[in-house]
This record gives sequence, C-alpha cells and structure tokens, in this order.
Amino acid sequence: MSSSYSNYTNSPCAACKFLRRKCTSDCVFAPYFPPEEPKKFANVHRIFGASNVSKILQEVEPHQREDAVNSLAYEAEARLRDPVYGCVGAISVLQRQVLGLQSELEETNADIMRYASCLGGETTSVYGARRG
Amino acid sequence: MTLKGGTSGACSACKYQRRRCATDCPLAPYFPAEQPKIFQNVHSLFGVRSIIKILENLDEAQKPEAMKSIIFQSYVRDRNPIHGCLGITQQLQYMIWLAEEELKMINSQLQIHRNNTNTWQYHHNAHNQMSHEIGEKLEDVTSQLNLGVGLMVNNNQNNTIPFFSPLPVFERQPQQPQMSYTYSSSEINNNCYSSPVYTDSCKEILTTNNNNVDASLAWGQNRFPYHHNNGFSNQNEHCNETKSNNGVTAIQSQLVNHQMVSNQQDEVDDVEYDEIHQFLEIIDDKQSFPDTKLTYASSSGESLKERTDETGESELRSAATCFSLTSVN
Repeated sequence: MSSSYSNYTNSPCAACKFLRRKCTSDCVFAPYFPPEEPKKFANVHRIFGASNVSKILQEVEPHQREDAVNSLAYEAEARLRDPVYGCVGAISVLQRQVLGLQSELEETNADIMRYASCLGGETTSVYGARRG
Repeated sequence: MTLKGGTSGACSACKYQRRRCATDCPLAPYFPAEQPKIFQNVHSLFGVRSIIKILENLDEAQKPEAMKSIIFQSYVRDRNPIHGCLGITQQLQYMIWLAEEELKMINSQLQIHRNNTNTWQYHHNAHNQMSHEIGEKLEDVTSQLNLGVGLMVNNNQNNTIPFFSPLPVFERQPQQPQMSYTYSSSEINNNCYSSPVYTDSCKEILTTNNNNVDASLAWGQNRFPYHHNNGFSNQNEHCNETKSNNGVTAIQSQLVNHQMVSNQQDEVDDVEYDEIHQFLEIIDDKQSFPDTKLTYASSSGESLKERTDETGESELRSAATCFSLTSVN
C-alpha cells in the first residue's frame, strides 16, 4: 500500500495527524487511515478511542485488520448519527424485514400447494376422461 | 440489586476501575457487579469516557436504550472482533436477498400456472359452450368432453368465483421503517415460521458457524466490493443500503475470513447475555431512533423464461416442494 510508505517519507497518516504525533514506519494505523480520509479516524477516535482501536487491531491477524477498521468506522459513524441505537438500529430494521419476508414466503408456498392440489384434482378428472 | 458505596457494593464499572462507586454513579444501573464481563466488553470497545460522553447528551428516557445498544454492540464485537455488528448486518442482508429471490421464483411459478389455468379455463369454457349448444340440438349425443367437463361444468357453474383465487402479483413493498420497532419474541414465535435462523437470527448468527456464513461471505465478496475511495460508499447497484435518517451507508467490505465461532466456553457469558439477544426484539417505539430508510436496489435479476409447455401436476408438486420454506442453514 502506498500509504505505508507515505507515512515514512511523506505525510503522516490521518491518525498521527489527528493525534499530533510522529508517524513512524511501524505505525499500526497508517495502512488503514490514509491522510486523505481524516474524518474516518476522527469518528473512530471519538467513539472508540485510539487505544481501543489499536488493541483491537493488534488482536486480529494482519490480513483481517482492514475489515476490522472498516467495521469500526461504520459503527462509529452510525453511533454518531444515532447516539441511541447506533448500528443496532439497522440490525433491528433488517430483522423485521427478514421476518416479513418469511411470512410472505409461507403464504406464497401455501398458495402454491393449494394450487397444486386443486389443479391435480381437476386434471385427473379431465385428462383421465379424455384418455379413458 | 447492586449496593452503592464502598468497594463491596460497587458496580462492575467502578470495581474494574478500582474506585469508589458513588450513589449517583451514572454507570451503576447498567453494569451490575455480578456481571463483570458486560462491562469488560464495553470498556474494551468504547471506553468509560466515551460512554459517559454519549450518555451525557441523552435524555433520561433514552439512556437505558442507548446502553442496551452499546452493551449489545460490545458483546457482538467480543464474539467477532473483526466484523462486529457489520457482520450481522451483512448476514441479515444476505438472508433478505435469499428470501427475495425465492419469492420471485415462487411468484413467477404461480403466475405461469395461473396463466395456464386461465388459458385452460378459457378453452374449457369454449368447449363447454359448444357442447352445451350441441347437446341442446342432439339430446342423445354426449361427447367425451362432456364426460370430463361435466365435473368442471358443475363446478364452474356452481362457483361464482374461480376455484383458485388469482393471487395478486407480488410487488415487494419497500419497507418504510418506522421510528423504532417494538415486537416481542412471542410475536415471532406465534408465526408459523419455525426456522431458528430467522426467529432468533442474531443469536443464531452469533452462535452458529455454518455453511451459510461461507455462502454469505462469497456472496458479499461478489456483490459488495468495498470501495476505498469514498470510504463508506458502495457503488454496487445491487447493494442493500442501510441508511439512518442522516444517510449512514452500510459498508460492504470484502470479507476475507468471516468467522462466527461458536464458543462453548461462552456458556457462562451466554447466561450473562441471556437478555441481550432479546434486545433486538424490543426497541421502544418512543425512543429517539430516527427514521432509518432501508432502500433496496433489488437486482433486476434474471427473469424466468416463461415456459410455453404446459406444466403437469408432477412439476407443480415438485416446484412446491422445491420452494418450500428453507431455513438458511
């Protein structure tokens, strides 16, 4: 990633900029908080704090850190926009949708079964007579 | 009941921080001393200062709901440090997509059968009319059609409505989420639907590591590439956007390794979090949850080719079996 070089030779990462510290070559935030996205780190820092984020990143494998940062960024932004429910509100909405779709599937399946049984009775009488 | 004052009666927040739990400790109502893991999770993710800051800006009535969501979010992050709640969101979206596809297929089948039935009935009525007219002229003539049609004639004549009420064409009504949702687990259980994945989807997602996780992973990778440029936007036309009132867009990242590990050692935690999975079932309507618009750009998808050949009964039955309720496991 170019940002991993940029923190050493060029501008510091968004995290180090925000924290006003020197961005070293082994900065744990640098690959995931490029200087072009200052808001991303600002949100994450505001909700979770830099030390918590750092601990989480160190707990996961390096190839999983990008996903971890993205999910944290999403949750932070959701919490900022909705301080009461955060991203959990969206989960609730989706759960409702799932339930609604399931009941709809049930009804439609019941209809198709009814159709099959009704049509089966009629075709027997009609086609059976014709062939009989 | 947590006794305040003194280290022996301190809430788990104050115990963790090794400080005196004041009588007006803002965290005491939410972190009972006998459930230290709850606060540990919250502390690991949010931190005390952040929680207090969040609570300070809320009304008294909103604080319990906010804390419930924070506790849930922390619990999920503890179970899945990589994806947290975003993982659950994506799995739910995957389930929704599966269910919608299934509904599309079933409705297409129904439409085909309905069309076939209408065509058959039209021709049947025409034959019936003809044979009736012939029968009037030649009383002793009976046609094979009459033999078979007789049943139908009687049925048709006696029925003022078709034997099979035409179903309305399925149009997915985009759900307009209300401010917030209140529904109890009993409401879910009273539905005939019994698949555990849906009735208690979040807990199932959290505790089950199954093939569906891999499926939703692969599905998410193909359909929801994460775009780094904007950070939060998803340009995939098939993406399901989860938007808050102010337009938070769900990030669809390329999931490399999405593990929902079932931790047997978490039995103790499960006891402690017994009420957490029910949290999602009860979100007070009257809270401040802003409008969350859930927009779907459901895939135009592949439309089923209409079969011109008549579908026999066996095919109907097999279709019904094929499209029976499937739990996403």
